[in-house]
Amino acid sequence: MSSDGDNDDFLYEDEYDDEFDQDDIDSTSEPDVYDAMSPAMEEAPQKKPYDVSWKVKTLQEIIDMQNKEITKVQSLLEVPASSAAILLRHYVWNSEKLQEQFWNDPAQALEAAGLSPPSSPTTHTSTQPTGVFECPICCMEYDYPSTYSMGCDHRFCKDCWIEYLSGKIKGEGESAKIQCMESGCKRIVREEIIDDLVTHDISKRYHNLLNAAFVADSPTLRWCPHPNCEYIIECSQAPTRMLNQLVPTVQCKCGDDLCFGCGYSASHRPVLCRIVKLWEKKCADDSETANWLQANTKECSKCQSTIEKNGGCNHMTCKKCKWEFCWVCMGPWSEHGTSWYQCNRFDEKSGIDARDTQAKSRASLERYLHYFNRWANHEHSAKLDAEFYQKTEKKMEQMQNSGNLSWIEVQFAKQAVDAVIKARITLKWSYCMAFYLKRNNMTELFEDNQRDLERAVENLGYLLEQNISDTDSIAKLRQDITNQAAYVQKRHDILMDDTLRGYLEVSYSAGDW
Amino acid sequence: MSSSNLAQARLHEERKNWRKDHPFGFYAKPVKAADGTMNIMLWEVGIPGKAGASTIWEGGVYKVMMTFPDEFPTKPPKCKFDPPLFHPNVYPSGTICLSILDEEKNWKPSITIKQIVLGVQDLLDNPNIGDPAQIDAYQMYKNDKNAYEKRVKQQAVERRQK
Repeated sequence: MSSDGDNDDFLYEDEYDDEFDQDDIDSTSEPDVYDAMSPAMEEAPQKKPYDVSWKVKTLQEIIDMQNKEITKVQSLLEVPASSAAILLRHYVWNSEKLQEQFWNDPAQALEAAGLSPPSSPTTHTSTQPTGVFECPICCMEYDYPSTYSMGCDHRFCKDCWIEYLSGKIKGEGESAKIQCMESGCKRIVREEIIDDLVTHDISKRYHNLLNAAFVADSPTLRWCPHPNCEYIIECSQAPTRMLNQLVPTVQCKCGDDLCFGCGYSASHRPVLCRIVKLWEKKCADDSETANWLQANTKECSKCQSTIEKNGGCNHMTCKKCKWEFCWVCMGPWSEHGTSWYQCNRFDEKSGIDARDTQAKSRASLERYLHYFNRWANHEHSAKLDAEFYQKTEKKMEQMQNSGNLSWIEVQFAKQAVDAVIKARITLKWSYCMAFYLKRNNMTELFEDNQRDLERAVENLGYLLEQNISDTDSIAKLRQDITNQAAYVQKRHDILMDDTLRGYLEVSYSAGDW
Repeated sequence: MSSSNLAQARLHEERKNWRKDHPFGFYAKPVKAADGTMNIMLWEVGIPGKAGASTIWEGGVYKVMMTFPDEFPTKPPKCKFDPPLFHPNVYPSGTICLSILDEEKNWKPSITIKQIVLGVQDLLDNPNIGDPAQIDAYQMYKNDKNAYEKRVKQQAVERRQK
């Protein structure tokens, strides 16, 4: 394939802005968004209509976000900070709804969130009676200072509180919803009480859990799913209702891609989140094993053992129960006599029905396996990425030594590998997409694009595997690889543009799977 | 105090309170081993079906084994009908599925043995159909109330206290 071919078949650029719904995804309102991006993103400054803007936040910024809301509510409603926090968490950080409910009926709003009514004091530790107290949980006697009660007046000893709170936080990972120990009492335990009672480690875990819950509750926040990465992505352009038209791939500061829509820990473009879930489920559960069994095996008509016929005539003898039967009609062999390769009962209705279901099942299995094998192939290749980079680096060294090329001059090889890897991820998902696509003209266009990209990637892969012999061949190889890499990049962008823009224009639709 | 000691102290107190006062028709006692020593962490409990015209459990006394973990009362006891019971919220093993006995649902350290047994008695007449634990009783309860009631009444006769 020539490296400069097919230059003319993609001229969409001019139309980008017109057909895009600016209300749903406003790509211009946040000019500072690129601050959060890594250098890799700066190489692609041209933003496509299907790209989203996002920011990468640190844990501290997330804590600040919460504190800002809490302070606001605290001064508006004139409640203590910890009450404001409990109210906000109860109303899932929707401060408008909280204010509306609160001003409507303050006592009711406090009660619903698990707080004491405003008139009663929040804690009772200051106004303690004297004498001894028997804790109803451990049944031991205590002085009042070593006991504790919240506004609900249920008093227990501090040891039991500590035991209970530690168990809830450490054992069950609860945070915002820890209630009073009394049966049926819905009063929520406040932050300062927990910090005061439990050990430092547990209090730290408690606050981590609160932050995790805040991120989980917010539709515009998502943890980076990559191991050991503690950044949080903020994106307001990919609400759930948009996920039928948008694949919001973003990049974290840790350098890895993720999907903001579903949290998939890599790019799954051009496939929609919903389809990725279907596909993963299909690949993971054993429904396909069952399909295979159905297509390739039958049950012994006597003992129900599963049998795969791997040759021979129709006269079957079950290995397990020694039952002799006909593979075609499944009837007892005794009625067949000597017709080992033919069954004259073949045309009976039950036989036809049985064969029909088997054929259908086989066809659907073959279709699935066709796409799955290609998907899995690219998945497998992606696992060998590190090796691919290593090999290429060796080759780059070799070129520097034998070809008198400078370090900067051999970087083309690494860029080519980058292109191959990126294209493979896209190709991988394109097979998943093809499996779920409805058959129409768009499918053919899609499959053409897919085939072109696949071919371009294979060619580039082949070139990168070439051995280096002398200086002349290095120069030529360098030229070829650079050209082919550019071509792969272009085919990749075409496939992406076509599909992702297709979603926005609703010209692609999934089949009934 | 270690958590195991805490559990024992609380259970001794529970026993004292039970002896002082307990609901009519119930019994609850720690199990005695063959050598006569008492195991305070394992209780045998008898739960009578409620009396009255609207109940189908009357007459039977249903035996429950309560196993208390070392972490009690932070964690709830495990309650198991012995033998297993025909009831939509009882697992085939006999284990009772009840929110106040679930650490992640409504269990609170302050819940007493008396509250548990009364809760289980109430569950007999008021199964929670949103949370079935066995297929037989669940399906019969849903599809054929008459057969269900007949089966429960028969069970009550079988579990009459000798």
